[in-house]
Amino acid sequence: MDAYKENIDITLKVNGIEYRENVPANMTLLHFLKERLMLAGTKEGCSIGECGACTIIMNGRTVTSCLVLAVEADGAEISTIEGEAKDGQLSALQKAFIEYGGIQCGFCTPGMIMSARELLDRNPNPSREEITEAIAGNLCRCTGYEPIIDAIEAVAGNKS
Amino acid sequence: MIKQFTYFKPGTLAEALAALQTEGSIALAGGTDLLVELRGGVKSVDLVVDLKGLPKLTELSTTPDNTISIGAGVDLNFLVDHGKIREFCPVLSEAAYSIATYQLRNRATLGGNICNASPAADMAPPLFVLDAVVVAAGPDGERRIPIFKFFTGVKRTSLKRSEIVVRVEIPPVPKAKMAFLKKQRIKGHDLAAINMAGLADSGSGTLRISIGACAVTPIMLKGTDQLYRENRDVEKLAEEVAALAVNSIKPIDDLRATAEYRRDMAAVFAKRLVRKICA
Repeated sequence: MDAYKENIDITLKVNGIEYRENVPANMTLLHFLKERLMLAGTKEGCSIGECGACTIIMNGRTVTSCLVLAVEADGAEISTIEGEAKDGQLSALQKAFIEYGGIQCGFCTPGMIMSARELLDRNPNPSREEITEAIAGNLCRCTGYEPIIDAIEAVAGNKS
Repeated sequence: MIKQFTYFKPGTLAEALAALQTEGSIALAGGTDLLVELRGGVKSVDLVVDLKGLPKLTELSTTPDNTISIGAGVDLNFLVDHGKIREFCPVLSEAAYSIATYQLRNRATLGGNICNASPAADMAPPLFVLDAVVVAAGPDGERRIPIFKFFTGVKRTSLKRSEIVVRVEIPPVPKAKMAFLKKQRIKGHDLAAINMAGLADSGSGTLRISIGACAVTPIMLKGTDQLYRENRDVEKLAEEVAALAVNSIKPIDDLRATAEYRRDMAAVFAKRLVRKICA
């Protein structure tokens, strides 16, 4: 049947820019972002939705992009770590992660910041417990999490 | 990494059911189980039928007789947050919240959790105690399957090849007390070693307890109503329900727990549940 396709045309917005692409059905959204759009910031860790390194925001909600097919993102609005800095200026979250030592090796950081961004968008004044729950799906092996939680808390408090 | 397949996103139920008659086809909902299985080569498919284009699958409604109808495609965070669910079936919200992580709950669906049919499916025990009905749609129309007849084995359900679950109906719930308990090694990063849901309504003398991950399917304890009506003392009731739980399960040793540990925890959880909902 014609409607069953191995390659599909999709249109989506990533960090405010519209893209039209033809993608294989078996391509994940993660690989689409990294290999087609050359947005290498999003990281691939476990590839099975456990580590959160590939977390992005899709239609306002965080998802692990390794478990989403690119074709499922047809019509979606997506934010990745590349959309954080504006006009050469790091975002408040990025600055806080640096200031509080929330980054060491950096591998979890893009996904961690996306989870933090989505949390602050839906809950501008989260408690420490709510921050912990929001980033529970983002594994960090370096920091012990406390500096990350401090960084997110600092931005939440300063948000006007 | 994932073997090539064709993709189809039907806009109507009829198109979806027709596509699912194709040999080698599979339904895609949230994808949090399916994509892992495709990547690992556990499953090999020729056609993925994405159900997210079917609008009715994400609806939640209440009928005039107060039956709550939950579309199979609603995601778990929707159930965590939904006011009506939190008010009338909090055990569903609690179980949903216990599953995986925030990002995964944004994708994983109620229908997917039960159709995947893991013996440890966390949404199953709450649906058992709520006496839910699974509504499946197939080429011959809709079929209503009581939840206790839905699971038939490990990763097996009573769904036919070309049927999909379209919604789950929760009959009117009395103002009962409910609770959900779950033992896992690491919150959010492991499946349940054992999970248990309970519902107690003192008015009608109803006590329902369901246990997961301790047999090939989630199970419902039989005879709890009678124990509930016979026992005025909660501690005595707790002991008797615990003994019933241990005798009703058929746990195995696996990577999450030994059978012995599961039997011990079944008794601990049963007592905890009874104290919580029958006191």
